[in-house]
Formats: sequence, C-alpha cells, structure tokens
Amino acid sequence: MAEAIWQLKTVKPKALKGTANILSNGGKNPLTAMFGRDESENPDVQGYAIYVVFENLAEHRLEAVKAIFEPGESLCYESLTPLIPAAAWYEREIQDMFGIVPQGHPDPRPLVLHDTFPEGYYPLRKKVDKTAQVRGQRRMDMAVARGEGLFEVPVGPIHAGIIEPGHFRFSQAGESMLQLDARLFYTHRGLEKVMEGKTVTEALPIVERICGACSVANTWSYCQAVEKIAGVKVPRRAEIIRTLLAEVERITNHVGDLGNIPAGVGFNPAISLGGRTKELLMRLQEQLAGNRFLRGVIVPGGVAKDITPALADAVTAALEKAAQNVADLDAMFAQQANFQNRIRTTGTVRKTTAVDLAMVGVGARASGFAHDSRKDFAYGVYPELDFQLITETSGDVAARLAVRIRELRESFALVKALLAKLDQSADESDLTVNIDWSNVSGEGWGISESARGSDFHYAALIDGRIDRIFVRSASYPNWPAVTIAVQGDIIPDFPLINKSFELCYACIDR
Amino acid sequence: MVMDIMIAAGQAVLLLCLAPLIVGIINKTKAILQKRQGASVFQEYFDLWKWWQKPVIVTKYCSWVFLAAPVVYLATSIMAAMMLPGLLQNGLRLGDAFVFVYILALGRFFMTLGSMDSATAFGGMGGSREIYISVLVEPAVMLAILVNAARYGSTTLSQMVIDYNAFYFTVPAVMAGVAFFLVMLAENSRLPVDNPDTHLELTMIHECMTLEYSGRLLTFIHWGSMLKILSFLVLFGALYMPLPLPIAVKVLLSAVLIGLVETLNNKMRLFKVRVYLSAAVVMLAVAFIAQ
Repeated sequence: MAEAIWQLKTVKPKALKGTANILSNGGKNPLTAMFGRDESENPDVQGYAIYVVFENLAEHRLEAVKAIFEPGESLCYESLTPLIPAAAWYEREIQDMFGIVPQGHPDPRPLVLHDTFPEGYYPLRKKVDKTAQVRGQRRMDMAVARGEGLFEVPVGPIHAGIIEPGHFRFSQAGESMLQLDARLFYTHRGLEKVMEGKTVTEALPIVERICGACSVANTWSYCQAVEKIAGVKVPRRAEIIRTLLAEVERITNHVGDLGNIPAGVGFNPAISLGGRTKELLMRLQEQLAGNRFLRGVIVPGGVAKDITPALADAVTAALEKAAQNVADLDAMFAQQANFQNRIRTTGTVRKTTAVDLAMVGVGARASGFAHDSRKDFAYGVYPELDFQLITETSGDVAARLAVRIRELRESFALVKALLAKLDQSADESDLTVNIDWSNVSGEGWGISESARGSDFHYAALIDGRIDRIFVRSASYPNWPAVTIAVQGDIIPDFPLINKSFELCYACIDR
Repeated sequence: MVMDIMIAAGQAVLLLCLAPLIVGIINKTKAILQKRQGASVFQEYFDLWKWWQKPVIVTKYCSWVFLAAPVVYLATSIMAAMMLPGLLQNGLRLGDAFVFVYILALGRFFMTLGSMDSATAFGGMGGSREIYISVLVEPAVMLAILVNAARYGSTTLSQMVIDYNAFYFTVPAVMAGVAFFLVMLAENSRLPVDNPDTHLELTMIHECMTLEYSGRLLTFIHWGSMLKILSFLVLFGALYMPLPLPIAVKVLLSAVLIGLVETLNNKMRLFKVRVYLSAAVVMLAVAFIAQ
C-alpha cells in the first residue's frame, strides 16, 4: 500500500496565497479542503492556524500549507478565492467559525452561522462562551438579480416533502432561472465543537451520525485519520470487510438515486421499482450491521463485526436481485423517450466548472473530471481490485444518471470479488488491533469515497483526546455547482437537477 | 323548464357525490400498475372531510377575490356538470357546448385570480402556467366540439351524443376521440402535462395555485376539480367514445385508461406542452375536415 504522504509547509499568513498558488499548480491540483484550528493553548504555536489542502492528482498525495497567526497579529489574510474559486465556501466558514477575515473575498457574507447568532461569536475558538444565547440579529442578504420584469422566487427552508431544510432564492425572467442563491446550514449541529475533548471511541458514534446516507464513508475516513496518528495497520480481513461495506453503501445510495431522479419528472413505475430495491438493500444492511445504516461495524483499529458465510450468502442473494432490478430500471429509462427528453441537456456542468470548483464524486465524473478517491488513494483493498473509473462527458442529468448505472455494475462485480477474498481469508480471526489511545498525539487525515464523492476527515489528537476534527463530506464542494448547473434552464427543471446531484444537507450541517 | 332544471340539478348532485370515487379509482389503478397497495378508493372522501373540518387560514394581504375564487370554481364546475348530456333523462336541451366550455373558463379565470391575489411566488407561477396551458387547450376543445356539431348539426351537448347503436369507427370519430382524450389530460392537470401526485412546488401547475388555500376553501377547489374530471369523462364517454356501452362503463373504462397513461408516461418539459397540444389540434382539424 503506497502510503500517501501529507506534505505540510508552515508559512506566515501573508505568504498563504502565494504558497497556495504554487500548490494548486495552475488549477491542476484540486483543493481538497481548507479549515482553521485554534492552537492558542499549544505552547509551540500559541495562535490560530489555517490549513489549505490540495490533492496532487499526478503523485496521488495530499499537499498542505499551514498559515499560523501569531498572538497579537491581526486575524486577516489575502483571500484565495479570486485565485482558487473552490475556496469560497471554506473561507466564509473559517470567517464564521474563527473570525479570521479573508480580505478581498468576492462574497464575504456569513455562511454557516445565520442571523440568530450574535456578532463576534466564533464557536470554534477554544475560549468561547458555551452558554451564550444565540439571539442576535444579523442581516443576511440573498444574492439576487434585479431589473425590469425580473422577479424572485423564494423556496424553503421548509419544503413540501420530508427533506432537510435549505432556502433557495431564484432570480427569474419568466420561467428561466437567471441566478440561484442557496442558503444552507440551517441545522448546524456543532458536531466538530462537540467532539473536541472527547476520546477517539467517544467521538465514534458522533462521526457515524454525521449523515445517514454515508455513515460508512464518514466512519472509515475518521478511522483512517486516527489510525494514521497511532501508526497502526488494520488487519487484512478487516480491510476487506470495510471495503465490502463501502461498496454496499454505494450500491444502496446509487439505487436510491435511480428511484429518486425519476421522481423529479413523475415517472412513476421507476420511482416504485427504485424504492422497492432500495428497501431490499436497507434490509440487507440491517442484517449486516444490526441497523439499517451500517453503523457500529467500522471501529478505529478494524471492524467490530465479522461477515459470516451465512451473511455472505445473504449479500449475494440480495445483490443478485438488486442487479436484476437495476438492469430493468436501465431498460425502462432507455425506452422512455419522454424521460430521455427531460434529462438530456438539463442541468449542465462543464468540465472547467467542475475542475474550478474542485467537484468530487458522481458530479465531477459526469462532467468528465476523472476524480475517484478509490483510484487516487490506495486505501482498503482497492489497489488489489480491478474496476473501471467511470466518466461521462455531457455533464447533464443524463450523464449523472449514466455514471450511477455504470458504477453500480462495477460495484456489483466488486462485491463479488470481495466476497471471494473474504472466503480466502476465512481462517484469519484478527478483526481489530487494540490501541491504547491514552498517549497518542499528532495529526492525521483520512479519505474515502462515498457514493457522493470523496469524504475528507482531518483529526488532531492530544493524549488520545480530540483537539480538532474537521469533516468535509462529498456534498460540501458540490453544492456550489448546483447553483451553476441550473443557469439557463427553466425553474420546473430545478427539482430534477437537484435530485441528479442528490447532495446532503446533514453532511454540511455538521 | 323548471322540471328540466331540477333533473339537471339532480344529475349534478349525483356527479358531485361520485367524483371523489372516480379519482379514487384512477389512483387505485395507478397503485396496482406500479405494484403498490395504494390507498382505498374512498380515500378522496376522507381527504375532503379532513379539509372540511380544518380552519381556513387567510393572509391579511389578500382581497375578497381570494375567498370568492374557490366558491366560483366549484359553482362553475357544478353548472358544467348540470349541462352534461342526460344521465338521468335523455334529450334535455339545457347544455350548449360553447357555454359549457366558457363556464369552465370562468372558473379557471377566478382560480388564477385567486392564486395571484395572495402575491406569493408559487401562486403567480401556477397562475401563469395555467393560463399558458388553457390558451392552448381552448382551440382544441372548440375544434372537438365543432367535429360533433358538424356531424349532428347542433351545438347542444345532448344533441351531439354519439349514436350508441352504431359502431363509429370512422376517421373523424376515432381522431376526435383520441385528440379529446389528450386534451382532457391537459385540461384536468394530469400527466404528461401536470403531475397531480407531486410535492415539488416548482414543477406544479394546478396544485401550485392551491398552495395558499386551506380548510373549506381547499375542499371547494379539490371537489371542484374532481367534479371537472368526472364531467370530462362523461363528456368523453358520451360524445367521443364510439362504443355501444352504458355511460357508467365508459366512464370507468376511461378512468382506468387515465391511470394507465399516467403510469406509462412521465411529465414532459413545460414548453413542450404546446407540441403535445398542437398534435391534438392537428388531429381534430383532420377529423373536422373529414367530417
């Protein structure tokens, strides 16, 4: 396993932009994440820090730069966003959470903390008043287009369906969408703050619950991060089981999407078949984990639950049925001319946009940006497995649907191969490495590919307790792309476009 | 004359009572075709009763038009139902086809006003789309009427009833039948033009106009649209379905047909509706010329 290296440079804040420019390599290396950390209690640093992490696609490694704001130094730096558009949300989040101001940011509005938070309240600083009342009144303007005959359509945050909250403001010229501004983060849970000071095992259930749809991916990324710090190697059988679970989770999510995308156009038989198949897979997940969301299996150091031959048979049976249903759905989509008419050329994201926004997962691959953490980072047993990196070029709803269908075929084959590997390793009884966390310190990161794209976790431990954890799920870099994708389409197509990305609110409300 | 009106009123009451059942049957058909169990065929009655019991919530920013619109909508639907060719007694001369069409247009006009009155974005969106669709539907309905009017030499609905004792598989009869069915789907906000089942506000047309309504006002609107569907099914059965079957069987058959069409189809792009309705108009034009 090629150990991916974390190349970290430490610079002064005023050198941050220049260093980031070099690391981004003229936009060739996508921005993986950008986050702050309060190290004022660390005697070696005594200040705030901003990390900017890039993925070097050619070398398959992460390259990071850390800017340290020394005590007394003014908390501002030159914004990276004009240079690296993907940094826009991260910089706004750091501004909300730490009060570190990106100067020259084209859109410095608050992002995470809404009007109810008082001015000057920065939750992720260590010395924050945890009892403060959040009753402030800040003005939050939406970005809208104005002009003769233009009007606004506000949608949400409460929607007619049972979904998570998000407010969308459309600037309309008749039915055409000129501009869309999305205001998300309504149910900010402060998970990163809550996890501070917790032990690695105490934080695990919280990480599993960041999102219901990708708990395997989140947990796996987290475990990779803390295992890197402890310097342990996970038993092989545990790696196989983790990879298997990740693929089952991918299949469940992709199948769910195959049933959800037709709901945007009222294609009823496909909605029903997709829903039935997803339920079949959720029940399989319940058999595997004891709960429908595959929680409680992946733990730091390995896995807590084995996959017995009986369970392996259940997986084979359920996936055979699911594969048949997916083939039926594929045929249904292909034969329905009216459906094809709806999904083609709708919600297009061009490749340059995907690269500029550092998109991940299905959204990136549908636009021709070949980005898949399973290929880019050698984790789990993926290096031993033979599978294709699926890309499409048109970047529309049809492309995102096609990527999912083709990836499902790969995943069905992957699970078969993994079950065979599991069978070969049947005599290995080691599933976990016991780790004494009490004096483990350091920082590490983990990446795994969820159904929506790569999940990045950063963890810093001090004596086995979490000092800082940063979670960047796949939805985070892809949300801004939705607002780009809708431009030029008409507003009744928005639900379809939104569903084709199937982004998660909870993943960013962490 | 008074007797005629009494009979017509009786007919409207009968249709009003049966309308939720027909919608229930359409929904049940869809559920079965999609391998779902589905709600009971009487579900629509329960829904109407549920809304009836709820309070009406009205924003302070709207005028009397908002309150009047659902009443006018239901009233025009009832009037249209009275004009239908005799279910209880043949040969009633109350219903003129043009009056029928424009009575319904009056109801739609008020619904559109009501939807815009509360000045919400969704109401205006629904209203503008409804008008866009109805502008395209109107010539098609007119042509459909003219086909039968030319055949029977009258625009009174009861005089235009297709001859039950003969199979009418002629070019004009079949063309007009198919085209009227297409127009009926558009007029009654069914797939592939509008999706009655969706919760996605941005894609709605008819439902979009009802979003601000609650309680009894909502009951009026829903009951009115159910009655409108049933009225169109009766009209389709009586005027355009060239089969020698009793009208009740024809209505049931066409309800099942709607369920089937809604299962096989998905919603088309909003601006493609004009292509869909042009096809209906062309077929009707051919039918008219052939007639």
